[in-house]
Amino acid sequence: MHIRKFDFDYSRRNFMEKTAKGILTAGVLTPLWPLIAHSADITKAYPDELLSIEGYTKGKIKTGDLITADNVELVKNLLDPVAYRQVKEMGRRIRIVASTRDVTRMYPHEYLEATLRNKGKAKLDQDGNVVTTDGKPWIGGNPFPEGTSANEVFANLTLCWGRHDNSVYAVRDWEIGPDGDVSYQYDFVWVEENTVARVGAGGPYLKGLEDKLRFQSVFFTSPADVKGTSYLNTWHYDQRKFPDLVGYLPAFKRVRKFPTNQRFEPLVAGMALYLSDAWAAGDPMLTWGNYKIVGRGPFLGAVSENWYGDHANWERPVHGGPKGQTFFETQMELCPEVIVVEAEPVGYSRAPVSKKRVWIDVRNMMYVAYVTYDRRGEIWKQFEPQYSLYEKGGARVLDGKNTAWSWTGVHCHDIQSNRMTRFVQAKTVAGGVSSGYNQAGLYEKYLTEQAMQRLGT
Amino acid sequence: MEAMELRHRLARFALGHRFLVLTVMALATAFFAVGLQRIEVRTIFSDLFPKNHPFVQAYKDHPNFGNPLTITVMVKRKDGKDLYQPETMKKIWDMSREIDLAPGVDHDQILSIATEKARYTVVTADGIYSNPIMDDHPPTTAEELAEVRRRVNESAGARTFLVSEDGTAAVINATFIERLVDYGQLFTFVQDLVARERDEAHEVYVAGWPMLTGWVYFFGSDTAKIFGVTLALMFVLLALHMRNVAGIVTPVIVSAVSAVWGFGLVGWIGHPVEPLLMVVPLLLIARCFSHCVQATERYYELLQQFGDKHKAAETSLVSLMWPGTLGIFTDVVGLLLVAIAPIPALERFALFTGLWALNLVPTGVFLTPVMLSLLPRPKNLDHLLATEGQGGALQRGMQTLLVGIGRFAVGRRARFTAAVFVVLSALALVEMFRIQVGNPVEGSNLLRDDSQFNVAVREINRNFPGLMTLEVIFEGKSGRIVRQADTLGTMQALQHCLESGPNPPTATLSFADYAPEANRVFNGGNPKWAPLDPDDASAAAAAGALMVGTNAKAYLHVTDFEQENGTVSLWYPNNKQATVDAALVEARKCIDQVGTSHPNFLIRLGSGSIALQQSINDTVDLYQWYILGALNLVILIGCSFAYRSFAAGLVLLVPVNLANVFLTAAMSLVGLGLDVNSLPILAIGIGVGIDYGIYLLTRICEEYHLAHKDLPLAIRSALTTCGKAIFFTASLMTLGIAPWYFLSELKFLSDMGLMLVVVMLINMVLALLLVPLLVYLFRPRFLESDISVLSESVEPAPGGLRVSVATL
Repeated sequence: MHIRKFDFDYSRRNFMEKTAKGILTAGVLTPLWPLIAHSADITKAYPDELLSIEGYTKGKIKTGDLITADNVELVKNLLDPVAYRQVKEMGRRIRIVASTRDVTRMYPHEYLEATLRNKGKAKLDQDGNVVTTDGKPWIGGNPFPEGTSANEVFANLTLCWGRHDNSVYAVRDWEIGPDGDVSYQYDFVWVEENTVARVGAGGPYLKGLEDKLRFQSVFFTSPADVKGTSYLNTWHYDQRKFPDLVGYLPAFKRVRKFPTNQRFEPLVAGMALYLSDAWAAGDPMLTWGNYKIVGRGPFLGAVSENWYGDHANWERPVHGGPKGQTFFETQMELCPEVIVVEAEPVGYSRAPVSKKRVWIDVRNMMYVAYVTYDRRGEIWKQFEPQYSLYEKGGARVLDGKNTAWSWTGVHCHDIQSNRMTRFVQAKTVAGGVSSGYNQAGLYEKYLTEQAMQRLGT
Repeated sequence: MEAMELRHRLARFALGHRFLVLTVMALATAFFAVGLQRIEVRTIFSDLFPKNHPFVQAYKDHPNFGNPLTITVMVKRKDGKDLYQPETMKKIWDMSREIDLAPGVDHDQILSIATEKARYTVVTADGIYSNPIMDDHPPTTAEELAEVRRRVNESAGARTFLVSEDGTAAVINATFIERLVDYGQLFTFVQDLVARERDEAHEVYVAGWPMLTGWVYFFGSDTAKIFGVTLALMFVLLALHMRNVAGIVTPVIVSAVSAVWGFGLVGWIGHPVEPLLMVVPLLLIARCFSHCVQATERYYELLQQFGDKHKAAETSLVSLMWPGTLGIFTDVVGLLLVAIAPIPALERFALFTGLWALNLVPTGVFLTPVMLSLLPRPKNLDHLLATEGQGGALQRGMQTLLVGIGRFAVGRRARFTAAVFVVLSALALVEMFRIQVGNPVEGSNLLRDDSQFNVAVREINRNFPGLMTLEVIFEGKSGRIVRQADTLGTMQALQHCLESGPNPPTATLSFADYAPEANRVFNGGNPKWAPLDPDDASAAAAAGALMVGTNAKAYLHVTDFEQENGTVSLWYPNNKQATVDAALVEARKCIDQVGTSHPNFLIRLGSGSIALQQSINDTVDLYQWYILGALNLVILIGCSFAYRSFAAGLVLLVPVNLANVFLTAAMSLVGLGLDVNSLPILAIGIGVGIDYGIYLLTRICEEYHLAHKDLPLAIRSALTTCGKAIFFTASLMTLGIAPWYFLSELKFLSDMGLMLVVVMLINMVLALLLVPLLVYLFRPRFLESDISVLSESVEPAPGGLRVSVATL
């Protein structure tokens, strides 16, 4: 039965009121997190209009339909401005899938358990860093699943990027120029290992590394002219400090130290993605500032059914743009509630960016869209991550005992120069490295300067 | 006869259905008025160049090499101190940050010693540090200032291209994205920035093509002022001459209608109008005025004779329909033929102005008599027509002058006049071939020599390698060629050849200049590691070292985003034609020396400001002859057909071509170069000149029959009737246009005004003197034939006699 009181306008009024009053409790009909803690089913927290595209569009768009230039106006308010332009002007198509009501499908299992287990144990200390109530580094899961401030919401993104204790992402990347041609293609491996806030059996901290947050490296495996080129980022737990960044070039067998604040440059030629852009939280959280919540409401996000486990190497079809290869095939669902947060790069005197705006899904506190603005206040780049539970048909990937959840692809579109960086998490890349999660021995294998030199030979 | 009947039928219809004609005209005017809202006046940079020229094709294939959409801001101490002072450093820092806020700027292509892209590299035991020359703030203490000075001195790129040799000036370069840039907005933004930063110790200079366009936009407001002055002057002159309602109101209304049609059509077509060429519409309004005055004068002659407005109007339409249309046809052809030059901005200009000129047929030819017939009968006809000595001083003065001119075209003086013409023409021809094609100044010839822009160009050229580059493009056939040894080696060989030649550039730069430094630094810093091994592995390693952790856009000036093409940039001290010519000669010689075609790349000359400037000059040099030839051909065919005589075509063409010779000689004498802006003048000049010739020749033929083949009498009669209208309209236009020379800050507009005045005067003199002279000297056979199709006579008379309406 449809209760008129809880129609679309009710939801809209509710979101506006909550934003205006600074109320951050997720859920329209009832608070979200008690439901998640109870059964992981969010159905009762939102009216139908926020849980199905049919309800939102009054039946004009149905689950399974494609969003194209012909009907994108109906969902214009559910897309970031660049995604809207991609569909309206550049031939992009987006397939709508059913909204996820079971939030266990939006987290790695252990991470969700830690989030629930540690709920209420985090606080921001006087410096702005996340600590436990007894002042120690964070112990795992989202520290603020029901964040009450923009800083708390953003801390959920920053503390554990990939939501596994460690991850190896085998990445295939394509750089698409304004003419629609592929200007560069890279294979690289992205490795993350949290030193604190761990959720596995070994406890929340790696012994002796409690002053760090994570190690993260990137090493290129193809093409030949960049093979062996690698970077190593060492993040401090104190989010006021810049990470230490070193690079390695195999041809010279030398490590190059980069200026610590030089984070608005790509890793290799052709990429539109900067270090600052990783996970919408690529810089230490407190090197940015003026965090504020600027809105909330429903949104279209690529948060489910985006794993192409039935395709070769998990790669996927492309379409759109001048040569029909600018965009990945993507599935999006109606996310009933996202929080829109803005922040400014206050710690970077030369930042070419004036602010970023990030749309964060309240169900898992992961970002679903992110745009940066130039210093004139015009949109510069858009980042659209795509996530999925790693199961499709009979295929499944485990992150231990459970089905893995991870990102599957990313669009990074410099809308001003119209260059697209798009990449997928592939099964394997050149050099034979495969994607995987929660593996032992990653630190020695990938996350030291010695490892960089060894991998570069 | 059929044609004659047609013009009668058309005239009868137009005057018999005046309100229908007016209604249709009003509806058409309303339709075009709607189009006025859609007019877009803007510059499209790439459309200003000849699309087929190899240099322009090279530019379009590789737009980022020598990117003309770059502005250069130079901050210079003017108190004798060097720039390593806190306040100067702060200015450089602030301006580098501020320019990033400019509309349409490419955020990744801003370069100064304050941006993070200007780096110095330090090799230590722990690795290689590549840091910005300035830290995260402008230096303020003595130690910080000394450190920045040291870093600049250790960075070859910064020392050459970002800081002047004497250390008193620094530049900030910013490149813009063409589809995002609005030159007017950008100009205002930069001028505000400059005004804020300029003080008693610092001068700030700004140059670059976007700024030049900005200045043109800025002075565009002058165009409206000049429009106003020209129209007001013409109106006053018209009022003084006519002194009656019909004679004043009709040209004003008809010209206004024609303008609405002309502008409205371009609005509907949707083509942007180049702001520099906005003055040509003003000229077309003046042309409409001129046609209208011709028709009005004719109407008055007929009104004097018939005494009936309706009959006079209908008869004047009959009499002027074919000569008027033929004159307009030559205007239209002249303007449309400008499109022969394959420059998109000129192609649009040709279409716009050609169609506008075409609308003079319905407006100037048809609407004028309809309007005249509806307006009150003038009471000063005797005065206007100067009949029986009743005219005013102005009228009598004109009569006297024209009779005097006629005396030089006939009788014994004719041979003397011809001899003078021959001598003058010979001298003019000699001078004509001395004209310089291209830019005779340092900076832009569009602006005055002492304009802020040209001063900035000279100052920047004086302190830095220069603003003008010639790009020698290395176009890849396969692979990322700047990672290949052959490419880097050939670039170095080419640079060496040019730098050791007789006219060396002030600086050269290529990707090959960066690679050895990367090789040295990444190999531990010892200078002995700078030279690259001559193999692809070493080249690729050096290129990889340069690109790692750096946006590929940082090197867009030397290699494209994909590293599949590269360029060798050559700076020259100025863009004067002699410099350009010498640069091209040397470049071609050195390219031949290193070889044009290599296994993986092809060397193309070229792009950059110097090449683009040359592409225009080459095109103007070539296509002015094509346009001239085509104009002559079309006019010859058209006029020969109209007069049924090849000789008539020749008689008409001689004066207009001579006018062109005299104009070019005059330009050469006053130091003006022949460039893209002079092409429309060429076409307009010929179009105007031939008009005068047609009207006068037709009248001479007609008067010849009426005067029983007394040619001197016929010439005298033609000159004092039709010649008077020619004299008046030419004077009207000349006086209207003359103020352009004094009023405009744009040198282009001043020059154009001057050239137009000169060409109009030359055309007038040649039409009034040379056409009768040629007719008198050669007495062509078409004088004897029936040219009633074209004649201004209106009725066939029994016995073959025609009743002239202009036997004054």
